Amino acid sequence: MAALFGQDALTDNGPGYAFSQAPSSAAGGIRERSFYPYTDNGGSTLGIAGEDFTILAGDTRSTSGYNINTRYAPKVFKIGGDDSEGTNATIILSVVGFAADGQILKERLDTIVKMYRYQHGKPMSVKACAQRLSTILYGKRFFPYYVHAILGGLDEEGKGALYSYDPVGSYEREQCRAGGAAASLIMPFLDNQVNFKNQYVPESGEGHALQERPRVPLKRKETEELVRDAFTSAVERHIEVGDGLQMLVVTKDGVEEIYSPLKRD
Amino acid sequence: MNHFPQAWGRPRDDIYGHYDASFLQSSGPNQHTQSPVVTGTSVIAVKFKDGVVVAADNLASYGSLARFTDVKRLRTFNDTTVIGFGGDVSDMQYLDRVLSSLDIKESYANDGHHLNAKNLHTYLAKVLYKRRSDFNPLWNQLLVAGTDDDGKPFLSSADLLGTTFSAPTLATGFGAHLAQPLLRRIVPDEAAVGGITQEAAVAAVKECMKVLFYRDARSLDKYSIAVVTNEGIDLKEDEKLEAQSWAFAEGIRGYGTQVS
Amino acid sequence: MVRTGYDLSNSVFSPDGRNFQVEYATKAVENGGTAIGIRCKDGVVLAVEKIITSKLLKPGTNKRIATVDKHVGVVSSGLVPDGRHFVSRARDEASSWRRFIKSPIPTSIIASRLGSYVQMYTLYSSVRPFGVTTIIGGWDSEEELPVDGQVGSGPKMGAGGKDESLRSGGPGLYMIEPSGLYWGYYGAATGKGRQVAKGELEKLNLQNGTLSLLEGVKEAARIIYVAHDDSKDKDFELEMTWISGKDGPTKGRHEEVPAKLREEAEKAAKKALEGEDEEDDSSKGDKMEE
Repeated sequence: MAALFGQDALTDNGPGYAFSQAPSSAAGGIRERSFYPYTDNGGSTLGIAGEDFTILAGDTRSTSGYNINTRYAPKVFKIGGDDSEGTNATIILSVVGFAADGQILKERLDTIVKMYRYQHGKPMSVKACAQRLSTILYGKRFFPYYVHAILGGLDEEGKGALYSYDPVGSYEREQCRAGGAAASLIMPFLDNQVNFKNQYVPESGEGHALQERPRVPLKRKETEELVRDAFTSAVERHIEVGDGLQMLVVTKDGVEEIYSPLKRD
Repeated sequence: MNHFPQAWGRPRDDIYGHYDASFLQSSGPNQHTQSPVVTGTSVIAVKFKDGVVVAADNLASYGSLARFTDVKRLRTFNDTTVIGFGGDVSDMQYLDRVLSSLDIKESYANDGHHLNAKNLHTYLAKVLYKRRSDFNPLWNQLLVAGTDDDGKPFLSSADLLGTTFSAPTLATGFGAHLAQPLLRRIVPDEAAVGGITQEAAVAAVKECMKVLFYRDARSLDKYSIAVVTNEGIDLKEDEKLEAQSWAFAEGIRGYGTQVS
Repeated sequence: MVRTGYDLSNSVFSPDGRNFQVEYATKAVENGGTAIGIRCKDGVVLAVEKIITSKLLKPGTNKRIATVDKHVGVVSSGLVPDGRHFVSRARDEASSWRRFIKSPIPTSIIASRLGSYVQMYTLYSSVRPFGVTTIIGGWDSEEELPVDGQVGSGPKMGAGGKDESLRSGGPGLYMIEPSGLYWGYYGAATGKGRQVAKGELEKLNLQNGTLSLLEGVKEAARIIYVAHDDSKDKDFELEMTWISGKDGPTKGRHEEVPAKLREEAEKAAKKALEGEDEEDDSSKGDKMEE
């Protein structure tokens, strides 16, 4: 009977016609996936914490390869507050890298901070928010949000607080941090101008006797100028940075937004 | 005639060889779409003072084959929003079904509230982001055009990764290279939108469609164009490019063996 | 009536062949606000007399006419929650039809499906019949419809091509009773004022197919007003929806009649009433202030 259901007595080879013999699966072998779920939307961000304020800034260009998607795509956001506009918010966040992840991350953190206030009847502290952001990022350790996040606000003593993150949630409180495409251009400038790295007191001596220039907290105005200088310089040297500069400044009076144009070339 | 009913309707092994079952990946990992199949090319759009103009040609390509030549890639929603689809056509059809069922579910409430272009864009971006996060992307680039909560022109894009951005002029695919610079010349920024008339916007878009047809090998001279304003949608799906001139082709030098 | 025990269960007939549960359900309907449907030549109108049971209810809310699919509307009279469940089932039917067939469900088919559904609730002792009579209005598109997501225009000639002279579709109106019985109607009425309403509907000679949708709206408003018995119910609100063809005002969709048009129709309805009986018009004149 088996012979009867073979396909052909003469050329009997391979699977026959019986339904039970019909092939239903391929020989094993895993094919490579060609879909890559990330992209880099360029742009750069920067944060500086002052004595009683914190500034987060980002350019507003969004790119895909050599294309400019748009000249106005904000990278710095208010987190929490009373409404969808972030009225009365006290925490700010910047995200740079893969914009879609950045958007979702911002929305998640915003929701959490708002829910915190509904549930506890008080606004979330930057410290708590900073830890929570780390947890969110680590929660996707094996499919990370491809972003460099910087969180800003004022700490319990009213001092400027700035936290920077890697994509999987490792974080640190810092005085200043640059992120994104032009991070490597801006960061050394910040080291020198904010933390006075490689600056010494003139005539203080030779070699180990050299005295470092004492660190003093920056004033609001000069910090803003520093940010502007950092970005105008980055625009000159990095093609993914430009179009507009958006700054959010947190002080005890709330969050102030400052927009100024950058070169669009 | 083969006397085994099991064999009827199946290719004969002695003629066609063994059945190649390699596409039946029932063992091993699930396979999702890894590349688009039948595709649409550019979608372009520009804001003007009262609304948005969107256009896309009527071609669906199968690789380099011009497979379907009357495909409507501009979809309307609610008589308030136009969505232009680039990329995979079957995924576009799926999204169209999602949207029509959304439309029906929205009408249940009957509370006078309607989803506008902005709402719809947010929704679609979330669908796309969800699917990319499941490693099962909907292979499309979309332009969503209409008006926002304040009745002002709205134009925004969303793609298979869930990336979104908005600008006074937008273009997907080849259009991002060829049309976008031309459109930006007319509408450089948001402030310029108020000075653009509908006629100027339509003329600019038509000119761009022509340039795209000259240079994009996967394009067609039949196209759809839609004007969205607060008054509604004016959608034309059977337009033809007018006043083509290929004289410029004579002047092209420098490709291949032709160097001077 | 002498209690015989045959009225306790759905699954038992009385010796003279009646299902009392169904008859009791019909009683429930007879107390509901009047609901009517008119099948006009270019569309369908649904209207309901919504009795205001409390001043604490916000006017213009708590809608009683439901949209089931883009092109189908449902209004019911009787137990409101039963009506809601009915609508939910109707929506499921309509969306599953779309999912499988990739086109809008014809009005006749949704009526048949829902008729069967209602009938099921007359068969088992574990359930009670629906306490509603429902009017279903719909418009089956006269155009060749694209299936969901269709991208091309389809063949222009040859097999499967289009014959411009062929036309199908049009208005549909059905009414389902608690027994599951349903018929297609030119004009349908149920609820408290159904007798008066039916009388008025008959006068319209709807079978001639001459009444236009716009006239239908006016008539529907008038009939609801005529059927309203203000010696029994103090206050009511008129809710009205309509469905027209592609070229009509709703472009094939089931929508609420625009407020302006409805108010116009109500004004005309009140006027007609005043003309009808001049002696006791004082109470009716300022009936509907919203």
